[in-house]
Amino acid sequence: MRRESSLIQRIVALAIFILLEIASLYMLRRNAPLQRMWVARAAHGIMGSIGGGTQRIGDYFSLKKLNQQLAEENAELRIQNAMLQEIAHQYKVDTMRYGIQKVRGFTYVPCEIRRISRGKQHNYMILDKGREDGILENSGIITPDGVVGIVEAVSAHYCYALSLQNTDISVSARFGEEGATGLLSWDGYSSNGALLREIPLQFKYEKGDTVYTSGHSLVFPPDIPLGVAGDSRVINGAVNEIKVKLFQDFTALRYVTVAYNNAQKEMGGLIK
Amino acid sequence: MKKTGFFAVYLILVVAQLLLSNYFHLSRYIMLSILPVMVLCIPLKVDTIPAMIIAFATGLTVDLFADGVIGLNALALVPVAFGRKEMIRLIFGEDLLSRGEDFSVRRSGLGQVIMAIAIAQALFLFIYIWADGAGTRPFWFNFTRFLLSEIVGVLVSLLVIDTLAPDSRK
Repeated sequence: MRRESSLIQRIVALAIFILLEIASLYMLRRNAPLQRMWVARAAHGIMGSIGGGTQRIGDYFSLKKLNQQLAEENAELRIQNAMLQEIAHQYKVDTMRYGIQKVRGFTYVPCEIRRISRGKQHNYMILDKGREDGILENSGIITPDGVVGIVEAVSAHYCYALSLQNTDISVSARFGEEGATGLLSWDGYSSNGALLREIPLQFKYEKGDTVYTSGHSLVFPPDIPLGVAGDSRVINGAVNEIKVKLFQDFTALRYVTVAYNNAQKEMGGLIK
Repeated sequence: MKKTGFFAVYLILVVAQLLLSNYFHLSRYIMLSILPVMVLCIPLKVDTIPAMIIAFATGLTVDLFADGVIGLNALALVPVAFGRKEMIRLIFGEDLLSRGEDFSVRRSGLGQVIMAIAIAQALFLFIYIWADGAGTRPFWFNFTRFLLSEIVGVLVSLLVIDTLAPDSRK
């Protein structure tokens, strides 16, 4: 009993101590501008700590509700994901079936390489699309990393193409948007090396300049980045031959796009 | 000393403190105060709550009549009253409290009395200097002020303590 009353006395004493200190601080705050800021700063700090603490406690107790909300949101997202996957699958099927897209005078058909040769002077590749899929001879074969070949022959369901790693083919290429144009062909030995020929001597370029398709060849769309320029040498004192490091890695090639110039026949007729 | 006699002396010392605060400015590094020892010497029969109220009133009186910030002495003095019994228990032992006797230099020894005054003074000065600076003064200034005020305060308090806690009160 005595201990209880002692404890109560202590609690009351503590309460009165706090009360008197608060009263002192209040008077300090009212009577001195410097102390006013000091007390206000301390009060804000304490209130911030208390506010943060109660917020954390509140957060802890609201976790169950939050978990339930998250679970419901997860379920909804799963349904949406399943729906989107279904749409994506449908789109993929449609693209495979009707994968022909026409953009800026070219018809594009996505293809997969079924067979490809490397390590020869005259490399080739066979693609899984043919005449029935809209593939035509003399179409260009491209990837996001550059040019990979030209369609040479077409059957009903497949086509045969000459790889860029074939010394028989060359691509019309240009420095930048308005630079000199020349013919780009495989250097005959390296996996990502090519030579850009017939560049006029007066044309100045920097090593590292990007080489693009020129669009002059009727086969490839213009402005496809092919590679970057390296060293050069003068041929017969008349033109430069520049080494080009291709962006395309021919060892990791599987999906390509066949691009056919819709005006090829008409323009070809004029040339003839 | 009877309680009434103690409080008469106490009031005289409050006036003395007012004179010290108003007319004895030794240095900006020295804050001369006998208030902590006055609160420490409040008879042990007076409980903590009345002691705190006395301390608050004393501090406020000095704040009002001296050239200071109102509330500053009260803020620093109330904790001395709040911790007074614990300080006495710690330094003089439980026996003194259980017997309800007050301490004095002869009864408890000079060393223990100095220690009690030093702790009370330190507690008071720590809060006073901290609140007075309001976070604007450099640490070295506050520390020097605290150290010098502590030494001077303990010395002056030793002169006062015999008036407040005379051995005749045994």
